[in-house]
Amino acid sequence: MKRFSIRRLGMLLRRDFSAGYKSVFIAMAAVGGFAILVSVVSAFSRELGPIHKQMYYPLLFIGGYIVTSLTFKELHLNAHSVFYLTLPGSSLEKYLSKLLVTSVGYAFGSLFFYTAVSSAAEGINRLIFGYGHPFFNPFERATLIAVAVYLVTQAVFLVGSVYFRKLAFIKTNLYLWLFGIVLTILVGVVGWLIFRDYAVGRRIELEPYFQRLGDSGEMQAVLVPLAENFAKVAKVLFWGAMAPVCWLISYLRLRETEA
Amino acid sequence: MTELETETGIQINNLSFGYTKERLFSDLDLTLRRGNIYGLLGKNGAGKTSLLKLICGLRFPDSGACNVLGWEPQHRPAALLEDIYFLPEEFHTPPISADLYRQIYAPFYPRFSMEAFREYLREFDLLSGKRLSELSYGQKKKFLLAFGLSTRCRLVLLDEPTNGLDIPSKSQFRRLLARAGEEDRIILISTHQVRDMENLIDPIIILDEGKIIFQQTMYEVTRCLQVEVQMEEPSGDGVLYSEKGLGGYVVVRKNESGEETQLDLETLFNTVITNRDRIGELFEMRVPGHDSKGGSA
Repeated sequence: MKRFSIRRLGMLLRRDFSAGYKSVFIAMAAVGGFAILVSVVSAFSRELGPIHKQMYYPLLFIGGYIVTSLTFKELHLNAHSVFYLTLPGSSLEKYLSKLLVTSVGYAFGSLFFYTAVSSAAEGINRLIFGYGHPFFNPFERATLIAVAVYLVTQAVFLVGSVYFRKLAFIKTNLYLWLFGIVLTILVGVVGWLIFRDYAVGRRIELEPYFQRLGDSGEMQAVLVPLAENFAKVAKVLFWGAMAPVCWLISYLRLRETEA
Repeated sequence: MTELETETGIQINNLSFGYTKERLFSDLDLTLRRGNIYGLLGKNGAGKTSLLKLICGLRFPDSGACNVLGWEPQHRPAALLEDIYFLPEEFHTPPISADLYRQIYAPFYPRFSMEAFREYLREFDLLSGKRLSELSYGQKKKFLLAFGLSTRCRLVLLDEPTNGLDIPSKSQFRRLLARAGEEDRIILISTHQVRDMENLIDPIIILDEGKIIFQQTMYEVTRCLQVEVQMEEPSGDGVLYSEKGLGGYVVVRKNESGEETQLDLETLFNTVITNRDRIGELFEMRVPGHDSKGGSA
């Protein structure tokens, strides 16, 4: 018996897409209605900036993170989990289905949905006022980059969804904040230890330090390449490692939870 | 295919399991053969639901072996899950129509019968087209039962299936289940509503304090036990169990005359629970961790 079957994955995808479709339609109607209303009101006020891009990003990120955070809810609820666990399919298939629905599925679904909504809104604007906002272009570089960023960052919320039984979205955000605070404190402490000789009262005055580095040529020879390399490594970690690591963590944790 | 896979559906050997340090089951042995509708009886907290969950891989044994249709259920292989339908006491139904539910979930079960499904829904009077979430608890249960039986899974596990069903539904349930029994199928029903299962479940398994203390067919029960109603209070060594009722005393004795009498499940259960050692001797079982002899009807 195969541990992985495309046929079963297809059936699971269908199930996951169909789960709570009524709620999805209600949310879509609410978001669509709101987007059209805002678009018409702002056109009436002659505020004709790239409003659709500004409205799509929260839909993509906040909406996507919420949907992702809810994805393993059924595993944490007793009455639901029995059906989830006894549903014919391997852990990998069930996990991949949830991952695909909340990542690629949500990203492209929301892109398609918002393109339709913004087209409708701009159609209405042009019909009523004879003018409107720039159309939403789903193939614009900035939008596609946003989608790529979403695909990477939603993996963090997938981990949260597997870990937290309740309020996964809020708890994941709190943990991210906590992580940010700890990181800031750590960087602050390390910075203080390195540059404490340049402290003037509570502030660190780095001007003389950079002056010295500039004068000695170390700035160009050492620090700039170091900073550039650091940025390259950070980029590679973000684009190449962050999502796979989170996927692996969430899958392993899922196996543990299922046990 | 091995003998184990063809004939024996479930084989549990020396299984130990517990939620805490205190064991719920220790050295549990159980053999269930295909083609039977088993009734799993026991007091509250005896471990009936836990046993069902161990069988379908929702709980893992601490030690011992559990083989279900040739698979180890703790790994929950998809091939095994395609052959198991478990209807728990507490369940959830998604807010979709019965037809959409069938479209989404039926493909997971390769032997699903659309014809049987329609027939069961008709039998249960569930053709309203309402969303499942709008149905009453009993209707939801009947729907899931209809779906489960239509999957034609070789192992159907039902945990307290008649809880929440109204009186006509209980009769429908019995009728439907009696029809659903197939040669290669095991239906295992855990219940404490024994009256609902009268003339349906056979063999009977009684679980008490983490042990299988009784596993016999009704044929064996009527062969070994005799029940009669008498006006005087019974006495003597021959009495295995007695209880006072409206018409007199219901007395259970060893069947020495060979005459067949109808022992209801409740009386049987009480007889076994109150007199487990003597019942064990009578049915030539080792008590408490007996050799599972009965089981094939």
